[in-house]
Amino acid sequence: MSALLEVEGLTKRFGGLTAVKNVSFALQAGEITGILGPNGAGKTTLFNLLTGFIRPDRGTIAFDGVPLVGFAPHRIVNRGLARTFQLTRPFIGMTVVENVVVGCLAPRVRSEGHTEVRAREMLDRVGLGSKADLIVDALSYGDLRRLEIARELVTRPKLLLLDEPFAGLGTSEIEPLAALIRELHRSEGLTILIIEHRLREFMQLVRRVIAMDFGEIIATGTPGEIVRHGRVVEAYIGRGGDDLEARLGIVTESVRGTA
Amino acid sequence: MLDILIYGAVISAVYALLAVGFTLIFGVARILNLAHGAFYALGAYCVYTLTANFHVPLVVATVIAVLLVALFGIVMERVLVRPLRKLPPLAVLMMTLAVGLMVEQILLLIFGSEARNVPSLIESSFNFGGVLLSGQRLLAFFCSVAILGGLWLFMQHTRLGAAILAVSQDPEGARYMGIPSDRIFSIVMGLSAAIAAAAGVLVAPFQSVIPGMGLLPLVKAFAIVIVGGLGSIPGSIVGALLLGYTETIVAFKASIEWSQIVSVAAVLIVLIVRPAGFFGKRAAF
Amino acid sequence: MPAWGSLTKTDVIGAIVVIALLSVVPFVGSRYIVGIMTIALCYAIWATSWDFMSGLTGRENFGHALFIGTGAYTAGFLNVSFGLSPWWGFPAAAIVAVLFSLVIGIPTLRLRGPYFALAMLSGAVVMQKLSIIFSDTTGGQDGLNGLSPMLRSQVSAYYFTLAALIATVIVLKFIALSPWGTILRAIRGDEATCQAAGINVNFYKISALMISAAFAGFGGALYANYQLQVGPDLFDVALSINIIIMVYVGGMGSIYGAVGGALLLIGLTEGLRSFSEYRLWVYTLILILILFFIPNGVIAPAWVRVRDWIRGRSAIFTRRASA
Repeated sequence: MSALLEVEGLTKRFGGLTAVKNVSFALQAGEITGILGPNGAGKTTLFNLLTGFIRPDRGTIAFDGVPLVGFAPHRIVNRGLARTFQLTRPFIGMTVVENVVVGCLAPRVRSEGHTEVRAREMLDRVGLGSKADLIVDALSYGDLRRLEIARELVTRPKLLLLDEPFAGLGTSEIEPLAALIRELHRSEGLTILIIEHRLREFMQLVRRVIAMDFGEIIATGTPGEIVRHGRVVEAYIGRGGDDLEARLGIVTESVRGTA
Repeated sequence: MLDILIYGAVISAVYALLAVGFTLIFGVARILNLAHGAFYALGAYCVYTLTANFHVPLVVATVIAVLLVALFGIVMERVLVRPLRKLPPLAVLMMTLAVGLMVEQILLLIFGSEARNVPSLIESSFNFGGVLLSGQRLLAFFCSVAILGGLWLFMQHTRLGAAILAVSQDPEGARYMGIPSDRIFSIVMGLSAAIAAAAGVLVAPFQSVIPGMGLLPLVKAFAIVIVGGLGSIPGSIVGALLLGYTETIVAFKASIEWSQIVSVAAVLIVLIVRPAGFFGKRAAF
Repeated sequence: MPAWGSLTKTDVIGAIVVIALLSVVPFVGSRYIVGIMTIALCYAIWATSWDFMSGLTGRENFGHALFIGTGAYTAGFLNVSFGLSPWWGFPAAAIVAVLFSLVIGIPTLRLRGPYFALAMLSGAVVMQKLSIIFSDTTGGQDGLNGLSPMLRSQVSAYYFTLAALIATVIVLKFIALSPWGTILRAIRGDEATCQAAGINVNFYKISALMISAAFAGFGGALYANYQLQVGPDLFDVALSINIIIMVYVGGMGSIYGAVGGALLLIGLTEGLRSFSEYRLWVYTLILILILFFIPNGVIAPAWVRVRDWIRGRSAIFTRRASA
């Protein structure tokens, strides 16, 4: 059984800086995988490469057997690879439901018609049903994240990339969002790849972790294995002194939770 | 050949003045100031009014004109531009465009469309190996170079210059260091306006002083600056040389009208060829 | 920017009232007024076509005059140089304007906002300068003169222009209210997010520019066939900016607001007499005021208020009737 996503030797340089260096990995359908790494590790650049927003200097990407390098972002989405952004920017000035309707107009799903009905259904699923007719400018950060997920889900993706979905959220918003992601994975059988560096929620969500640092993959394994992996720990402790205690505390806690 | 060399040098020097002023306010405050041509025109018209109507001696009139236009620039920034900074950048662009157009229209209403006469500081002409150059053009060249040199010294060796450089790199960071970024924006706008006005004053005796005189210099400044790199002063000087000489060569070999297209075409070509990465659009302008 | 929502019965009634009022003009106005109004209707077509592209997608085009002048000169050439009936000028003008929009749009639409605006401005200036340089073909500053008129009377020209404007607004509003329009507004919201939703943003931007150019070129041909002359001032920066100001006054993205903005501004400067002298600086003053105080425009927001008030009152009426 071939993998849903196969990445081989992906490399990207910006001037003198190698943001992504020889990255290779594979995702099986139905998996929920995480990409872990400190800031500047190249995680978002990797997402941008996978989704066509940036062209790699070297390497191949095969999705469902189809090579993706060189495709424009919208074509990749129409093949079933959707992504959210770290900095959520909705379609301002439009209502929540209109925001999702745009996703329903993607060529991949456009022939299904009934765009507003489908949009509202999806909003109910992500818990924004009551806010469907509000102007998007009024939504909180957490709700905007849900909106973005809804918009991507209506394109019926096979693989969903989530870029730091928990960033900037308060504690009361994180758990419901994590629960939503878990539920979507369970019910839709959606393959999910998440970037995060809020360890606790992340570790409890994903089955497998790919750890990156300085643009390279430094380790892969279960959350429990990764958290004890020498290079991973060094990558976190060797970097920011702030959060050191907190990170250590969370690391040992989630070891207890998932080992 | 020699005539191209000499005339090209004069034109390039003046263009460098215009371009540096334009790139200065962009580099520091991220404002594409479409009223820059208006400053240039106002400089020329101020000198005209002061000498023709008030009989002020030319040199004094020059200084007053430059100061007045600098003041105008500061007021414009303070009153019309700064309040719009929180709106998308197109609003500021439209505002400066509106100011530029208004100034041109008001000049048209007050002075009419006939070209005005501004006296030269140096009446005589000079002979350079067979090429006849008017004293005023020679003066324009040396003054431009002097002003640019003075500006460079100012930026490198004074505290205010250092503050300006700091703000151009990082307005927020500069604020944390106690540098009043907002006030620096106004000062730089005044400086930019003064330089543009100086250019207008220097060329007024040998260019036609008409209300619309600022449009092409604006386009040229913009062309130079995007060729040389927005916000880069050395880049603007290189760009000015490129444009000045290209124009002079085209003017001598083809016609004056064709030389005027050079700058506009340069704008178009550079904008089109300039790499525009997609993610560049997600970042702030 | 407020979403202008869907079409209601009140909107349609309002439109009919406006059309009726405009239709009456030749009966109550002098020849001079009818002439001014015909020109105002041309401006309304140009403004509406600008609003369709720039108002909806937010990619402001500072060189709309490029399409106007191109359309006008095309119509002029076919009329004067080739001796064809003026009616051929209309489709030709639209087609040529669309071609120009492709040539300049494809390389420039990927530029960021202000750069796109200025690139389009440069395009119009280049065409203006070229039309002066090649004076043998284009007549230089004097332009093309002596077009043969398409209609014999001034009044029929007025009604033809009015019909053209009505058709323009109907077509463009229809597209704006359709899913196509939703996508264009999403492009205004955020292009990257739009791409991530599977939408081919470049296609929609280019096609919007092409549609905008087609109607602007058509309007240019109308103007040329009315004035019976074409000059380089139809490429002018001032024309592009005036149109933008009219749309700002009308309310960006509303389509019909642009019509109101055009009529209002031309009516305003007529009230001030000395048409061409004062026009530009009054307009720029208005633009400055609008940017500061009423960035959403005057016409469309005002109509929305009036419309909602009317619907509120009529709802009470029907409720009472059925009670």
